[in-house]
Amino acid sequence: MKPSGQTEPRQIKSYPSGLLAGGIVMTMSNVALAASEKGEASGGLPQLDFTTWPTQIFWLIVSFMLAYLLMWRVVVPRIGSVLEERHNRIEDDLRRARQASEDAEKARVTFEDMLANARNEASDKTRQATESIMNKMDRKMETANANLAKKMAAAEADIANAKNAALKDVSEIAATSAIDVVRQLTGMKVTKTDAKKQVKQAEKALA
Amino acid sequence: MHSPVEQFTIKSLMQLELFGYDISFSNSALFMMLAVILSTLFLTLAMRGRQMVPGRMQGAAEMMYEFIADMVSGTVGNEGRPYFPFIFTLFVFLLFGNMLGLIPYSYTFTSQIIVTFVLALFIFIGVTLIAIFKHGTHFLTFFVPPGAPKVLIPFLIIIEVVSYFVRPVSLSVRLFANMLAGHTMLKVFAGLAVMITGAGGVYAPGALLPFLALIGLTGLEVLVAALQAYVFTILTCMYLNDAIHLH
Repeated sequence: MKPSGQTEPRQIKSYPSGLLAGGIVMTMSNVALAASEKGEASGGLPQLDFTTWPTQIFWLIVSFMLAYLLMWRVVVPRIGSVLEERHNRIEDDLRRARQASEDAEKARVTFEDMLANARNEASDKTRQATESIMNKMDRKMETANANLAKKMAAAEADIANAKNAALKDVSEIAATSAIDVVRQLTGMKVTKTDAKKQVKQAEKALA
Repeated sequence: MHSPVEQFTIKSLMQLELFGYDISFSNSALFMMLAVILSTLFLTLAMRGRQMVPGRMQGAAEMMYEFIADMVSGTVGNEGRPYFPFIFTLFVFLLFGNMLGLIPYSYTFTSQIIVTFVLALFIFIGVTLIAIFKHGTHFLTFFVPPGAPKVLIPFLIIIEVVSYFVRPVSLSVRLFANMLAGHTMLKVFAGLAVMITGAGGVYAPGALLPFLALIGLTGLEVLVAALQAYVFTILTCMYLNDAIHLH
């Protein structure tokens, strides 16, 4: 606030206007007085009729004091309270809006945190599930392979036994067949021992 | 043909006397009271709803309040708050007085030099007392412009003292002269229109010119009425600011 800077130009300006207005009053009263001297009805500028001044001063004091009391006690508090109420209401609303926006921001951050956590958890669980399934599968494959190998070994042993048994039977069958063939063809009786000897010799020759 | 200043005549409506003084209830007093009653009625009825979102009337009342509140805080600052009811009363009283005066057949009490001068004198004395109570003898430094060359100081003190004591005169004469000139001018143009019409015949249409001028002048006088109430009020605020803050 710069009171001197504000008021001085206005004061300087007010002198000529004041003087001018004073001049107007003087001129008009002179004109009016001159007119009254000429015998016309008007008795000068009515504002300069001093006899009306007491009543005007009295009623000005009365009415202005009344106005002041009414404004001071009734009007100003009434308008002031409404304005204050509105001001408070707006402040309150703004405060609440700020609060709500902060809450929303907090909720957003929380939500995003939760989302990130859920994502991490989900990917963890997926990974664990994949791993456990892979492990189980590996284990099952191993046992299955082991069983398979055992079964193959057993089967191979069976086949070998069967082959040996079959091979043993072949010389037996060959010997009995040879006895039967000789008896049919020649009528000669060949002993089993001889037949077997012969079969062994033939096997050796064939081998 | 009436004199254009006859409209300012004080007419007694009810004879009254107090300690030998004539305090008759006159047309001037009537309009002072009307200004008080109408302004109070307007401002209280407009605020009757106490609405959060003001309507047209409440908006106007609040605008007047805030206009003066901004004026006081803008020129005087926070120390001006206790004087706000007085400044507001002053503005409303003068505004309603000026505006009521523009209604045909009404009376403009602000065109009375004694009315404006008593108001200005009251403000002048009040402001001077505030300054003396606030600053004591330090108040006298108000008449010494700061940073002035030493040689010029006696001369400047005389100018400052004269300009200080001229304040009530300039303040009251500004409002009075504006109202006097405006209403006289309105009367002159109105009288001219009537006179030309009265001449009759081919001259009668010529009355349209002063009549149109009268319409324009009435608009101008509405502006002057509001402006002079504003000027009186803001100058009061500035005098108050000088009293509270000195230079």
